[in-house]
Amino acid sequence: MRCPLPEIRHDHESFEALASLHAQTKDCYLEEIEIDLGQSAYFEADMCAALGAILYELGRRLNTVRLTGAAGGVAETLSGNGFLSHYGRAELPDSWGAAVSYRRFDVRDDHHFSGYIERELIHRPGLPEMPPGLVKKFRESIFEIFSNAVLHSDTRLGIFSCGQFFPELERFDFMVTDLGVGMRRNIRDRMGHSLGSVDAIVWATEAHNTTKRAGVPGGLGLKLLCEFIEANGGCLRIVSDGGYWEKKGADISTAALGHPFPGTVVSLEVDTSDSGAYKLAADVSVEDIF
Amino acid sequence: MMRKDIAISVFEVVGSPLCVASGDGQKVYERLASVLAEEHGAVLSFHNVHMLTSAFLNTAVGQLYGKFSEERIRSSVSVVDMEPEDAALLKRVVETAKRYFKDPERFEQASRDALEEEDAGA
Repeated sequence: MRCPLPEIRHDHESFEALASLHAQTKDCYLEEIEIDLGQSAYFEADMCAALGAILYELGRRLNTVRLTGAAGGVAETLSGNGFLSHYGRAELPDSWGAAVSYRRFDVRDDHHFSGYIERELIHRPGLPEMPPGLVKKFRESIFEIFSNAVLHSDTRLGIFSCGQFFPELERFDFMVTDLGVGMRRNIRDRMGHSLGSVDAIVWATEAHNTTKRAGVPGGLGLKLLCEFIEANGGCLRIVSDGGYWEKKGADISTAALGHPFPGTVVSLEVDTSDSGAYKLAADVSVEDIF
Repeated sequence: MMRKDIAISVFEVVGSPLCVASGDGQKVYERLASVLAEEHGAVLSFHNVHMLTSAFLNTAVGQLYGKFSEERIRSSVSVVDMEPEDAALLKRVVETAKRYFKDPERFEQASRDALEEEDAGA
């Protein structure tokens, strides 16, 4: 089977293309599948986390996956973050020095994930100049996203991540994808609410809603992310099942996907030139916490 | 038995300056819950902790509100060596936990879970 992919950006159409690839291949077993990137003139590096999740599932069903046609900037991007090396290409150095490698983690790998973030992001040589408050907030945001995937996805197939700095555009992109049950099913199974895919994402991002197991409160992680993105002027995107949700600064837009995505994607786009001071609230005295 | 204030170093319990995982929060929760169950006080130190998430704090501290009363926690737990931004995050986690356990069904379920854990450990 040959599956051509178009340009892959951070937009609804691109997630639609990936969800369609999943729909096309989800019943394949012991097949040869060629993902043709020949028509893809652009590929956002961190979107490897979403594509990698779909391809990992194909491999689990004993299909042989080949990526063909990647050329020019696309080949450089997908080699620089190590993605193509998972599919038989040689591992090449990151020529722009701006990639955060494509990786897969199991839900118990939180310490490995922490090491990866520290090594590839926080202590990397040539990290763009950013105020310490901003670095702390986006590091915190990435860990919140990973924790959400660990706590809510019920995935046994893993969590995929990838990122990219754009020093000239003063932008940093990072994506986490899980191959879990998705927000809609999670909310239905744990809370008994029957929501559509888009409404399920909206529900999960609203204050104090949580599907965490009994006894442990929650419902703060996505809210903190939303607050950070609003203050930073960046963008947060969530794709889960058949829903697409995007928050750019304070503006939220949603759309349905024609086919379901097999899990949940959380994508973070941070303005690294932001010099705003980040405080969760007015100074809190430690005497006044409980 | 005389009440003691027992120091708990989060860095020592977790073994890392990055306190981000819910599983690590559970280790801190278990220490805190044991101290409170023995009617002692806990001084929770965040010395050398560089990163905290709400997921970690929900499990480490927020969960206490399902087992102990607000008054009991306020009189028995104190926090030291915490950055102001982290204190603000902990305060939000505590507020969320109080709201969460105001739902009697959740509080009862948490109490049942705690009893089952104790029975299993007995």
